[in-house]
Amino acid sequence: MVYVFSVDCSIRNMNDSAKRSLQRLLRRIPFRMLKTSLDKWERLTAEQRRAIDLTPTKRDLIQEILSLCEENKWTEKHIAELQMIYVAENSDQDMWHTYQLVDPDDDARSVDLIQFKEQFKSHFREVQRNVFVKIRKHTDEAVWIRIAWGEGLSPPNNLRASYVVHHLQTPYVYVSSLSSKHKPLLLQALAFSTRHRGIKDANLSGRKLTALRDLLMRQYQHVFTTKFPSPLKEQNQSPLIEKEQSGPSAKRHRMAIEAFGEGALPAIQTAVYKLETKFKDPTNETMTERDEPFRCAVKFSSTNLLESLRSCASSGIASTPLTPLLSSIPLKGRNYFVITDNAPSACSQMSQTKN
Amino acid sequence: MSVLKPFSKLPNLDTASILLVENEEQVQQGLAEALVEDSAQAVNVRLARSLPLPLENEKTRPRIDLVVFILNLTSDKSFKSANESLKYLDPGYFLGKVCFMVTNARYASGNMGRLDAVRKMAASLHCPLLFAEVQSPEGVTNAARRLLTILKVASGLVPNTSSLYLSNLTRCTKPPDIDQPSFD
Repeated sequence: MVYVFSVDCSIRNMNDSAKRSLQRLLRRIPFRMLKTSLDKWERLTAEQRRAIDLTPTKRDLIQEILSLCEENKWTEKHIAELQMIYVAENSDQDMWHTYQLVDPDDDARSVDLIQFKEQFKSHFREVQRNVFVKIRKHTDEAVWIRIAWGEGLSPPNNLRASYVVHHLQTPYVYVSSLSSKHKPLLLQALAFSTRHRGIKDANLSGRKLTALRDLLMRQYQHVFTTKFPSPLKEQNQSPLIEKEQSGPSAKRHRMAIEAFGEGALPAIQTAVYKLETKFKDPTNETMTERDEPFRCAVKFSSTNLLESLRSCASSGIASTPLTPLLSSIPLKGRNYFVITDNAPSACSQMSQTKN
Repeated sequence: MSVLKPFSKLPNLDTASILLVENEEQVQQGLAEALVEDSAQAVNVRLARSLPLPLENEKTRPRIDLVVFILNLTSDKSFKSANESLKYLDPGYFLGKVCFMVTNARYASGNMGRLDAVRKMAASLHCPLLFAEVQSPEGVTNAARRLLTILKVASGLVPNTSSLYLSNLTRCTKPPDIDQPSFD
């Protein structure tokens, strides 16, 4: 008798907690996005969806979905699906950090989704019990992983889940809302299930997931340095307007395009340079004579940093040829640099980075 | 040799030529197109980042009737470059054939020192100082119209007027309070 009661109680608790987390999730999603997310969530019948479409206010909509939740006995699993759909659609609301997989094993190339899923989940099962992992393939071939972490013996916290995006057979992983406590475990699991021996910080972060991916996968238009300048393009400019200094400006333009490519560039918002170099200024002796490095951070930010830098270079605000510090953002695919004094040339100065 | 002179060449018939000098090359192109479009007469526009102008264009260049320095108030370099360029102009130009156009003044309200410097420069050279809003296409057209009015006189297309008169009428007199901190 007692046994039956306890089971009943736990089921009710589970339903309650699912309902509560559903309610919290629904409250967080803006009304206009809620409907599109619900449409993609394949848990509602066509009739229910129509009824939802006609609901005018968000409060009514939440009530309706909560009653449906009770009726259909949705669990945390279903709610996690809805949350994943919402986050995948609105990926630019979080900060994404990039990690790079290194030292692939021989069979790294042949890992498929089923294998990856199994490995990843089993790795977690071995290490930590109360973690709720959900893996789903998104439309653009990306594998989305949602991980809700549990503390000690408490159940997984579904509201603060970490998200991981990975395209199979590529060496990059994009992670958002990951606390430093869970980082080692997740990175280990990722390296293990993609059959790599190591994983390191790729020093690239930003809000736009697609931009990070395009930058790392080089999915933008490149221009290769050639010995001969490209043939002149036909200009549909009025013959009455003429540039006096057209030579240097064409050269600047070409150099800017060589560094950053032509056409639209991935929208990276920031670039941070952490300087740990000695202060060098012949006019300021007291600062120059100090032995310890002058520590500071320089941060560039813009809605589309790479395009801004390109137009700075082509309009002559930044001197050309561009310093390798700026041009290595697209070249190396990173936007966090630590600059130290050790190496003699500017280019190699950038290779030392802190993880 | 590299000094630009106002009367070293013969003018073309019914044509006015204007030289836009802007270090950043942001406004130049749009303004040039507006100038060409808006004018009833043919207008030759020459664009430059700074003076002196390259020697190899000397032959193809028409007689320049008006030199406009476009100064971006948000940038220090803009003022410096214009100041450097001034010495490559023949003194004859300063009799009504030079004007300064200030842009982005709205965004540089924090730095009034720059504006004062520009006003002082314009006052000391007896040149008109125009303010233009160049963020919108309407603003650019407006600026182009104002320049065209000056250009017509400077190129001698308006009967009974010369740029000498213009110089007297439009020059920026030194405001009495220019040595004090800026006023709103």
